[in-house]
Amino acid sequence: MILSDVLGAEVYGDDRLGHVTDVRFVLGDGSSEQAMPQARLHGLIVSPHTKSSPMGFERTQIRSPWPIAQLEHWLHRDSFLVLWEDVAAILPGRIQLRPAFTRYSPRLVKAAVPEPDFQ
Amino acid sequence: MTAEYPLDPEAATGRVLDGHLHLLDRQVHDVASVPVTAVSDLELSDVDSIENIAPGTPAPEIVALLSGSVLGTRIFGGRPPPSRLQRIAWSAVDQVGVVIRLAVKGETLDATWSERWVRDHIIGRIPGGRHDPE
Amino acid sequence: MKRIFAVALGILTAIGGFLDIGDMVTNAVVGSRFGLSLAWVVVLGVGGICVFAQMSGRVAAVSGRATFELIRERLGPRAALANLCASFLINLMTVTAEIGGVALALELASSVSYLLWVPFAGLAVWLVVWRVKFSVLENVTGLLGLSLIGFAVALFLLDPPWLDLGRQALQQVEFSEEQTTTYWYYAIALFGAAMTPYEVFFFSSGAVEEGWKSTDLNQSRANVIVGFPLGGVLSIALAGCAAVVLLPQAIQVSTLGQLMLPMAVAAGKLLVAIVLLGVVAATFGAALETTLSSGYTLAQFFGWSWGKFRRPIQAARFHLVMIVVVIIGMGVLFTGVDPVLVTELSVVFSAIALPLTYIPILIIANDPQYMGRMVNGRVTGVVAVCYLGVILAASLAAIPLMIITGAGQ
Repeated sequence: MILSDVLGAEVYGDDRLGHVTDVRFVLGDGSSEQAMPQARLHGLIVSPHTKSSPMGFERTQIRSPWPIAQLEHWLHRDSFLVLWEDVAAILPGRIQLRPAFTRYSPRLVKAAVPEPDFQ
Repeated sequence: MTAEYPLDPEAATGRVLDGHLHLLDRQVHDVASVPVTAVSDLELSDVDSIENIAPGTPAPEIVALLSGSVLGTRIFGGRPPPSRLQRIAWSAVDQVGVVIRLAVKGETLDATWSERWVRDHIIGRIPGGRHDPE
Repeated sequence: MKRIFAVALGILTAIGGFLDIGDMVTNAVVGSRFGLSLAWVVVLGVGGICVFAQMSGRVAAVSGRATFELIRERLGPRAALANLCASFLINLMTVTAEIGGVALALELASSVSYLLWVPFAGLAVWLVVWRVKFSVLENVTGLLGLSLIGFAVALFLLDPPWLDLGRQALQQVEFSEEQTTTYWYYAIALFGAAMTPYEVFFFSSGAVEEGWKSTDLNQSRANVIVGFPLGGVLSIALAGCAAVVLLPQAIQVSTLGQLMLPMAVAAGKLLVAIVLLGVVAATFGAALETTLSSGYTLAQFFGWSWGKFRRPIQAARFHLVMIVVVIIGMGVLFTGVDPVLVTELSVVFSAIALPLTYIPILIIANDPQYMGRMVNGRVTGVVAVCYLGVILAASLAAIPLMIITGAGQ
């Protein structure tokens, strides 16, 4: 399947919960031949109020430029992460979660993206 | 805001990558830092009985970066047939940073065919095309 | 000594590079109809382009990335595609206007028909883009463009009523034949002429082309902060010339010849010739910049290899785009459309599309993932957000005003 099958899909638990705004992957420990370890789907980030991409604002605590950050924070309030274990079904345009799914914070404390090399 | 939800156990491990934030629409450069393409989508491995996932089913993995016509379908809807997807295998990826760095040369990839075509049939035929600018 | 020379070169290039056919035509038209009462817009526009160019230059130097690559990453493909379509079309309009401007100026200089100059101008633009090194391109056209100082010289030679001009600029004298809506329409046009988006695509891609590091930023800051305002002064001088010579005669500028009339009045053919050289150089330089911008925007959106630092065969699609753009530009001009009219429309459309380019740069300039510690400082941040408000206001007001005033009739 491709990512855009999942991105933007509507997410349902008992009721409609929102849309998938991002998909989180976790890197494996990596075999020695490959430069980049395998990336396994870790969870889905669900936003109740909007379908748009939050452009990273709500996850990395960027606060400026002020009006845009405020707008994005407001649009993506109450976003949460659900893990793969809690995904019961992926249908075209629709994702069903398991009954007792857990909501996690979508906050990214440290990503696998290395710090840019500032010249 | 979302302060009430517990933190994802992997959030601080430095092993996490968000597809939309870190991978999609990123520029891809080859091993010599020559631009290759931009990531338009990701191909994930298939999941057994995806319409009714049994607990414990392993999560899908990223198989390849996709570019080309899939951009149009991502924006406007639909999906190109699998044979028409321009793939860059995940195993060719060296590093994900501000750009996605590959471990191979761009020449070897499917994704650069139109560049090579234009080069061979048009630009290469105009005098001066092979020289450095002066 | 070499350092001083380098700094001077940069500043001079910026002055010559600030003015293009859009600036010249719009300022002359405004001067001939409104005197200097719209001079404040030039000041505002210069401030804006300084902030804008600085941010995008910093983003390019620190992150090593050029504008359009980042627009797609940050805003997603849908918004970036909309942006690309708008920017590309406006770029195309501007290329057409600039090539037309070169041909018009050459016609004035030689009495050879304008249509015969169009293919010559187009071919020259392409040849330079194809073969000439980036830095040479910039420096030569920028330096020759300095002859536009002739505008300021002409203004002094005309011995204008300085008090009257000052009054127009500061106290907003009313012009009975003109309406308020037309005034604001031209305010937006002038703003769009000063804050051209292609300038930013070109500037930031150029920064990547020349391999700027953050240590080069101080140099670029000097170039921008000194060069652009001086360019703005020349724009105002041009408007002033039109105000002094054409306004009292109710001659509204609609041709390049009328634009040059004050120079002829001030000091005869010699000054006209010098200024014409400057017009050709500045417009030619702008034609090069906009052509390159077309290539940059498309290539960066799709992730193609680009850049004048690469041999054409190593950036084939990039060069193909530019060839096509020049051909289309010439084609449009051959239909006989008036380049001055195309220019006047292109600056208004630039103002309309400006938020699409400005907002992504603003977001990225604040993002530590791209900028590390070099995110927007406090002061820059506040100023940049204020300009965001101005840009949005201008963009939203442009189309209604264009309809109401019939594009400035």
